[in-house]
Amino acid sequence: MSAHHDEKPHCCQTASSGKCSMVFLAISFLIGFLFFLGVGWIVFPKLLYSKKIQPIDFDHKLHTAEAGGCESCHSLREDGTFTGIPGLDNCLQCHEEQIGNNPEEQKLVEDYVKQNKEIPWLVYSRQPDCVFFSHAAHTKMGKIECKECHGDKGESEKTVPYEENRITGYSRDIDGRIVPGLKLAANDRMKMTDCGDCHKKHGENNACFVCHK
Amino acid sequence: MKHEHGAESHEKAYKYGMVIDLDKCTGCGACMVACMVENNVSYKKDESNKLDSITWLRVFQLTNGKPYPDTEVCYLPRPCMQCEGEHGHSPCVSVCPATATDYDHETGVVSQIYTRCFGCRYCMAACPYHARYFNWRDPVWPENTKAGLSPDVSPRMRGIVEKCSFCFHRLQRVRQQAYAEGQRDILEMEYQTACTQACPAGAITFGDLNNSEHKVHTLKQSKDAFRLLERLGTNPKVYYISTRQWVREAGDNYLDCDIKP
Amino acid sequence: MSLGRRAFLQFSLGAGAGLTLSPLPWKLLDDSSIWSQTFRGLPIEVPVPPAGEVTIKKTVCALCPGGCGISVRKVKERAVKIEGTEGHPINDGGICPMGAAGLYQIYGGARVTKPLKRTGERGDGNWSEVSWADAISDISTQLNKTRKEGLSHTVACLSGSDQGTVPQLLKRLLSAYGSPNFFSMPSLRDTEGLALRFMHGKKGVLGYDLENADYVLSFGSGLIEGWGSPVSVFRAHSALRDKAREGKAKLIQLESRLSNTAAKADKWIPIEPGTEAAVALGLAHVIVKEMLYNKQFIDNNVFGFEDWVDLNGKTHRAFKRMVLEDWPVDKVSAITAVPAAQIFELARGFAKSSAPLAVAGRGKGMTPSGLNEFMAIYSLNALVGNVNKKGGVCVVPEIPLKEWPDIARDGLALAGLEHQRIDGADTKQAPVAQSLFNMVPDLINQINQEKMSDVMSALFIYNANPCYTLHNTQQVASAFNKIPLIISFASHKDETAKYADYILPNHTNLERYDDIYMPPGLGFPVIGLSQPVITPQYDTRHTGDVIIELAKAMGGTIAESFKFANYETLLKERLAEKWDTLVAEGFWKDDSFKLEGDRGFDTPTERFELFVIGLQRGGFISKDDNDYLPYYKSFPMSGEKDEYPLILIQTDSMRLANGTIATPPLMTKTVSDSVLKKNDIVVEINPQTAATYGLLDGDKALLKTPTGKTNVRVSYYNGLKPGVIAMPTGLGHTAYDDYICGKGTNSNDIIGTVTDPVVGFDIAWGCRAEIKRIIA
Repeated sequence: MSAHHDEKPHCCQTASSGKCSMVFLAISFLIGFLFFLGVGWIVFPKLLYSKKIQPIDFDHKLHTAEAGGCESCHSLREDGTFTGIPGLDNCLQCHEEQIGNNPEEQKLVEDYVKQNKEIPWLVYSRQPDCVFFSHAAHTKMGKIECKECHGDKGESEKTVPYEENRITGYSRDIDGRIVPGLKLAANDRMKMTDCGDCHKKHGENNACFVCHK
Repeated sequence: MKHEHGAESHEKAYKYGMVIDLDKCTGCGACMVACMVENNVSYKKDESNKLDSITWLRVFQLTNGKPYPDTEVCYLPRPCMQCEGEHGHSPCVSVCPATATDYDHETGVVSQIYTRCFGCRYCMAACPYHARYFNWRDPVWPENTKAGLSPDVSPRMRGIVEKCSFCFHRLQRVRQQAYAEGQRDILEMEYQTACTQACPAGAITFGDLNNSEHKVHTLKQSKDAFRLLERLGTNPKVYYISTRQWVREAGDNYLDCDIKP
Repeated sequence: MSLGRRAFLQFSLGAGAGLTLSPLPWKLLDDSSIWSQTFRGLPIEVPVPPAGEVTIKKTVCALCPGGCGISVRKVKERAVKIEGTEGHPINDGGICPMGAAGLYQIYGGARVTKPLKRTGERGDGNWSEVSWADAISDISTQLNKTRKEGLSHTVACLSGSDQGTVPQLLKRLLSAYGSPNFFSMPSLRDTEGLALRFMHGKKGVLGYDLENADYVLSFGSGLIEGWGSPVSVFRAHSALRDKAREGKAKLIQLESRLSNTAAKADKWIPIEPGTEAAVALGLAHVIVKEMLYNKQFIDNNVFGFEDWVDLNGKTHRAFKRMVLEDWPVDKVSAITAVPAAQIFELARGFAKSSAPLAVAGRGKGMTPSGLNEFMAIYSLNALVGNVNKKGGVCVVPEIPLKEWPDIARDGLALAGLEHQRIDGADTKQAPVAQSLFNMVPDLINQINQEKMSDVMSALFIYNANPCYTLHNTQQVASAFNKIPLIISFASHKDETAKYADYILPNHTNLERYDDIYMPPGLGFPVIGLSQPVITPQYDTRHTGDVIIELAKAMGGTIAESFKFANYETLLKERLAEKWDTLVAEGFWKDDSFKLEGDRGFDTPTERFELFVIGLQRGGFISKDDNDYLPYYKSFPMSGEKDEYPLILIQTDSMRLANGTIATPPLMTKTVSDSVLKKNDIVVEINPQTAATYGLLDGDKALLKTPTGKTNVRVSYYNGLKPGVIAMPTGLGHTAYDDYICGKGTNSNDIIGTVTDPVVGFDIAWGCRAEIKRIIA
């Protein structure tokens, strides 16, 4: 054995150092693999989205309790279009003067109501311009509840930060909360495939012009 | 269910089409302008190179080719023909590698999705009516005029193909209103294209070719009605009416040996 | 290979594998493709028009006198579309290309955004901003000074028309100030007004019931080019088409070019340019000779058909003998190039129809016709008795409005008003015309600069662009260069505003109130109210308000005459009980008016006058009886036939605006490349004529007339009479923005004026010309 050692010291050395180097190389691979897997899964999503805070921390729960369901503020106009996030005039119906002592309400009254300035809300579910979406079709004809797509927003007490995709400019709520596009709940993501799948499921027309403009 | 009958024919679905009365069309161009304003079509400082001038609806001048004083002229507005081909195989839809253009069996409208188009222009080569236009440049609107853009039609970007959509957004609009009112049927006059509405001569009629109560249904059966390049089998949904024989003949390419209609 | 290097390679491989199994590359790919849909953040970013609540505002289009109802689609505060109003009595939902492209008036370039004062040389376009208060005080001080010097009559005003409250305010301002020099831009309506005044003895608007006529003879009228109230004429034409298909109606177009109207007509009869009246007299000859006229109407209602004897016992040759003696068919055929057989056929067809209608006025009617030639055509309607009848002609009376309060005038004002008008209108020189601005440029050009202040010291310009729309623009511009003070109310930097000392920008049509009375050619009385549908985009002010402020700033009796709170209240008062309807509907129609009916004639003879005595009573004295009759005289064209062997005519089109408002870019986009190629205007020529001059289709050429020359391209057109060159109008702007300016040539640049000897209008429809190929 030793002879072997002696005879082929180089070879043996090579073999043992070969093993070492194999391990070393495997570790290098693993480090690279794991590090960049981490970059891709953890760092990248953090870098991709910028976080923006809503101008006012809005309490949906409080408002639905006081004013009623979603429709009391997010309503359909007579022509069937959707008002989306209501304008200042809607807030004015109650908040012409401060009615409580909530600092957020104070912000509303001081910064917006008194200066007659619209609140620059960030819209989580803003779709690209090429999309035509009719709330009337879904809520009136499809009888779909708001929360089926938007989640239980009505129960929320705080606004979550608006995460904007730095490349596309659209919200993370459109992209999907989980980056690879996994969808755990119906309201996780609002991409075209999600619309299409639902349309297919319900036997609705999936022609391009149904949802594009 | 819908797809089943849709794939075969339009029998139960809508089949939107147009009948243009060439005897009444004055060639004034109001339809072209109304179309461009409605659909956010941009304009350049020089639009005299008609090869790269985007006009979803273009009014062509036809002439009988005879010398003075026997010359006659006729104007022919050309929107997208929304070809049905056979079972929805429109020339352009058949060739699009990106599924950016598609045939909707429920309305008969050939859609064009700008964000999906990657600008190979195969469809333009396939369209026998030159109804498709390519954006060779970025659309530029003089700064203040952007205020006049309509939110109903998405503006296009460089490098993609666009075309007439029969003002499909207007159908989306009325459908939405109908939905809000809890109904599904769209009445004839509720959905009209911008050109139809604008035409000061009332030369354009628009409606459901399948619905015998719609005016287009009757008009397309006129003895003076014809379609463009009918022999190609494109099965277009735009009909023309002219009492002049030479105009009807000009609607297709005839050789001297052909039997003309 | 060193270990480090291998390790690094392994690391990289691992990195690659790690990334591939992470969302990063796929998400980046997806996101960058989404980014490329709009190129967000780049200068070429595709705009995303913001959505919002949609409202529709009803108003009336004020871009032409047509009076169409329009509905403006608004998204929040932005106007995004102009559409015709359904159910409107004039256009019922239809719209013309100009109206449809009307948003450019508000949002387009070349807006005058603030009051401006000239700093550089005239025409250089150097301006400094000035406050409204300063501008008004400067101008009123200057005007008061002029007035104190006893030169109030040297202040003049030019308005696009004399209809509407703003022109009336301007007229009132001059009247209180002490100047008779109110001008309105010349147009066919001037001739029509005179024909009504002399033949019917009525004031109002000439109405044609085209829709119900069954044999329409159009003497070069551009029924499809924008004549009358364009959309209403288009609708009438479509009604004619429906009847024509059943053989129940006919439209025949007489003109030298196969225009759009000729192309739509059931028959196009090419004639020598400018000989429309001769054809009409030839037709009258046949109708009279073959006794095809409406004897009952002629006997009971017409004066001047048969010869008549005046108080001095002198017999005057009247219409009947005139057409029989002077206009035999052979002679007419020789003048007009219409075959004799066709003249007979036309005359018989016309007279034997139940509702024949003869329509006069060339093209869009931008240029007045001569009175006698107009009467020659118009009298055909009287010959067949189709006056005040369905499918005929009628006088649409003006709608009475609340009277204006009296004007207070001091001695200076009264003295100023004693002076003669600059253009000689209403004086011995031109007794029947109200306004002859066409005379003014030439008059000014003959005056020394030092004397200008004694003739025209200041000129207000409202809703007019004479430096572009009048013939011989060069002459107009040099005259404007001499006027000491020019105040323009233009909303856009047009050709005339370039010469102004002050521009006091008016709101554009969608930002202001405007009253529109009696659109031309319509067979019923209607008022339109243009209303502000969007808030003014810039620091502009309604001209009506500016006039009121100016008057108040001048003080004295002038201020006393302008005790109006503001324009809006004044307008409301003027329209009184009609206001609410006007605001709600955009129009007020007099439903009590009936086209048919015996309305009588208020001429000196209380009959329809074919021999117009009124012209003589009006002060026009001539030894030639033909001057009082419908007549044709060959057009006096300058230049020798040898030097200028061709005839140049102007051609109007719906796709090119040739009036005060410039063609917006979306409309120019619809124009064919056989009209405008790059920045070259394209003129039409018959291939046969082109061959004589060695011109090929598309060649560049030099077009020369006695007035000027310009480079053009030629386009073969078989539908044009040989020997004629047809040049489009509405191109060649030298002002406005890059999308409008510099496109082709303004045909008015090279066409000189021709003065009608009886009335004094500029009646030029063309001129002599020569064309030479440019060898590149």
